Amino acid sequence: MSKHITNKFWLLMIALVTATVLAACGGDDSEGDAEGGDDASGTSQLTAWAWDPNFNIAALELAKENYDAEGFELEVIENAQDDIVQKLNTGLSSGTMKGMPNIVLIEDQRAQSFLQSYPDAFYPIGDYFNTEDFASYKIAPTSFDGEQYGLPFDTGATGFFYRTDYLEEAGYTEEDLTNITWADFVTIAKDVKEKTGHPMLALDPNDLGILRVMMQTTGTWYTNEDGEINLVDNEPLKLALTHYKELMSNDLVQLVSDWSQYLAAFNSGDVASVPAGNWIAASVEAEESQSGNWKVAPTPRLDMEGAKNASNQGGSSWYVLNIDGKEAAAEFLGQTFGSNADFYQSLVEDVGALGTYTPASEGDAYQFENEFFNNQQVVYDFSQWMEEIPQVDYGMNTYGIEDILAAEIQQYLNGKSLEDVLADAQAQAENQFK
Amino acid sequence: MKRMLKIIHSNNLFIKIFLVMVISIIAVSLSITYSSIQMSSNLFMDTFSITNSKIMNQITERIDNFTESTVSASLEVETNGVMKQALLENHPTTVDESNFYYEMKYEMDRIYAEVDPNDANMVIMSNNQHVFNMNYIKWPVDGNKLANSDLIKRVKESSNDIVYQFENSEVTNGVPMIVASKALRLKSDYIYGYLFFSLTERDLRKFYESYTSAGNNVMLITPGGKIISSNLKERIGDTSEKLLNYAKSFEDEDLEYRQVNVFDHDYTILSQYLPSLDVYLVNLIDQRVVADNVIDTSDIILISVAIVGIAVLVAFLILRRMTVSISQLVNQISDMGRYQFNKPLKVTGGYETQKIAEAFNYMLNELQDYVQLLMNTQEKQRKAELEALQHQINPHFIYNTLASIKFMIKQEKQEIAENTMDSFIALIQNSLSNVDETVSVEQELENLKNYVQINQARYGDRIKVNYLISPDCLDLYLPKLVLQPFIENAFFHAFTKKKNGFIQILIARRENQLVCEIVDNGDGMGEEQIDNKTVKTKQKRKLFSGIGVKNVHERIQLLYGKDYGVEIESELAKGTKVIIVLPVNEHPE
Repeated sequence: MSKHITNKFWLLMIALVTATVLAACGGDDSEGDAEGGDDASGTSQLTAWAWDPNFNIAALELAKENYDAEGFELEVIENAQDDIVQKLNTGLSSGTMKGMPNIVLIEDQRAQSFLQSYPDAFYPIGDYFNTEDFASYKIAPTSFDGEQYGLPFDTGATGFFYRTDYLEEAGYTEEDLTNITWADFVTIAKDVKEKTGHPMLALDPNDLGILRVMMQTTGTWYTNEDGEINLVDNEPLKLALTHYKELMSNDLVQLVSDWSQYLAAFNSGDVASVPAGNWIAASVEAEESQSGNWKVAPTPRLDMEGAKNASNQGGSSWYVLNIDGKEAAAEFLGQTFGSNADFYQSLVEDVGALGTYTPASEGDAYQFENEFFNNQQVVYDFSQWMEEIPQVDYGMNTYGIEDILAAEIQQYLNGKSLEDVLADAQAQAENQFK
Repeated sequence: MKRMLKIIHSNNLFIKIFLVMVISIIAVSLSITYSSIQMSSNLFMDTFSITNSKIMNQITERIDNFTESTVSASLEVETNGVMKQALLENHPTTVDESNFYYEMKYEMDRIYAEVDPNDANMVIMSNNQHVFNMNYIKWPVDGNKLANSDLIKRVKESSNDIVYQFENSEVTNGVPMIVASKALRLKSDYIYGYLFFSLTERDLRKFYESYTSAGNNVMLITPGGKIISSNLKERIGDTSEKLLNYAKSFEDEDLEYRQVNVFDHDYTILSQYLPSLDVYLVNLIDQRVVADNVIDTSDIILISVAIVGIAVLVAFLILRRMTVSISQLVNQISDMGRYQFNKPLKVTGGYETQKIAEAFNYMLNELQDYVQLLMNTQEKQRKAELEALQHQINPHFIYNTLASIKFMIKQEKQEIAENTMDSFIALIQNSLSNVDETVSVEQELENLKNYVQINQARYGDRIKVNYLISPDCLDLYLPKLVLQPFIENAFFHAFTKKKNGFIQILIARRENQLVCEIVDNGDGMGEEQIDNKTVKTKQKRKLFSGIGVKNVHERIQLLYGKDYGVEIESELAKGTKVIIVLPVNEHPE
């Protein structure tokens, strides 16, 4: 009898211990699950860096709306373009990639310097879209060593945005402004200043974008086809600089020191025109009170043989960094900017962005008459000019050369001869980039 | 209810022990659970606070880094001749202005790159409201707004210091940020420009955000009590005097951390004054949230509840087993006194109860033996007493009888004297010489006749005696002197009022009983006299043997059991009937 009881007692003790152990194990399990969940959700959170909230960021947000992959989350962070460049350089050169975004917008004219300097930092995304669907002039700057790294975004095609009211006041009609030369532009600027008191355009003396726009109408660049620095005997550059100095010397320019002041210059109604890439349209349209006061003419050309009334500025493309989440990021870009023609229609209508995705140009949105621009078919016009843009190879050192040139230009404005300016700039650039 | 009470009563022992065990198990596990949770929480909070004070130091260091780079950048700007010149000069033409812009930007780029003040933006404004902005995204400054803002006023008022201000006004487009401002002055105190370092709250938060977690919050509070930065975004802009006072108290007392109640919540607070920014850095730790993440209280409680449950169950089962056998034992014992004194206890249950039952049964047996022994002894004693009585004839009877015979001889009643003498001799012979316990009916009858003859000879024959004896009874045996006392009784008590009467003696066999009846038609007795059979034995006048009526009854029952004995029926003035029931004995004992 007593043995019987002892057996039962031990059975109970074993049951007790088992129960306790099971309870403890249960707790461990739930903790493990929670950790796993965190990891899983961590990878799907992607970030993207871009500038210009009216244009690039708006386009990215629109792409996000048009993309509904499960568990996909994208945080878009606005940075100044210079900031992105600096942060990318800092991050990529340190090699850690810590704090880097998954998706980054890079200007075409800078792209090669990144692709060549940090070949492993970017993830080739050629498999996620068909490169033949994009304008060929965008493929060269976005690829390197046979791999496609960038997904071409906006064209960068330039136009001559002007205030119809101010120019009419100065006595100019639409026809007077179509297919003009930069020399005509300077003349018009003088008239406008005299008659309306408004400077013709806003410029940041540290940003020589206007010179590049002028130069490219003739198909030339700071470097030649062989990649050699070409400043001294660069006739288009010389002509462009002459026009630049004339604009400055005659006080036809409103100087600004940063991008927000640049935007303020035309949004506040100070300046009469904005010769810039088509991406500026979104910022112009941001000031709704000026609706109907704007039109866009073809870009003025340099008065040289073979020059076209078309140019390119600040076109940019999307890149995916070679870090965790790259597949998800590339998938996202491929499904939106890379292949979705319907998305491009809303991109045109909502953001005014003109992509280089050729199948999209057949859509109705390209015929859209923009009320803000006096019912002009702005997108269609840009797509026409886009085809005219003289092709150039931007090379690696566009901005490096410009930094040197910017300093020399101040001397040029102060009276140094053009020959000396270019010769000194050439010498410095050769020293720096050889 | 009664049933319940009964159940409780019958399980009293079990309930008591069980309750004591349950209460102590629960008390022990409660106190252990409570103290272990308390201990681990306290330990955790202690280490947590130590870690957090280190974190506070790191945050302070980062903020100091920021202010240091701000200071060094501002020094560079102030001592930069190019910028001073550019800012002091007028720029009437676009070309001049272009140079000015270029130079400013160039110099600023250099300084900014050198200093790189942690996500801060550097802005310089000239007296003509030219604004040079190193990162317009961080703070898109409008020259006009800035020039007319309170920010500038405050900077102008302060002499040479860097003024740190929290702004989320129109100047900063509503974005909360810390703006470090400095007026660029000549020695003559003429202000030639303003330098600003702006750090948005978002970027400032990055200094400490990675150290925060749910329940572990960091706040920056101005000396006015305004919360200018916090990982709790909804608190930014709030003013809390209470919190400020707590934060200040760290300056006066040398505290590591303390418990406070702010925002309707209990927190552990750590605080440090940052003189560079003139703010208090406060670390608010919600103990419950933080500790809950580390110590799974519900798990501990669950485990102790499970242990208590199992322990109680085990205690219940074991106790039940133990106490049920004891209760059964108690039940058997309590019944025993009333009904089953001879029935031994069932030997079941645990070792202890078995032993108790065995001992009890053993004791019971002993007791029974003892009682039996006692009864036997008592019976023997009684017998001995009776024997002693029956073997003696009352001496007075002998004197009186002899005296009566003497008188008869004197009166020359020779025949009567002779007969009486014969009877007396036979009577004495029978009483004294016969040592047997029992005698035959015939012999007893003979004795009775002798006795009656003597009495009639002495007192006259006014009382007649008739004998009606069934012949088959004559050979049966009965105890000695069973009938005699009743006849004696009848002679001397039944006829005190009536002077004449008769006594009838009937002896017959009825089934297995020998029934003797002594019937008289005398005075009869009252109820009380019948019940109290001792009345007659109180008579001092002992006539023959001294054996009382009561003795007879006791003696018969002693000899043959409760089925036998003496019954008396009587009616006043009509007579008395004594019935003596005896077993049929065919042999003497």
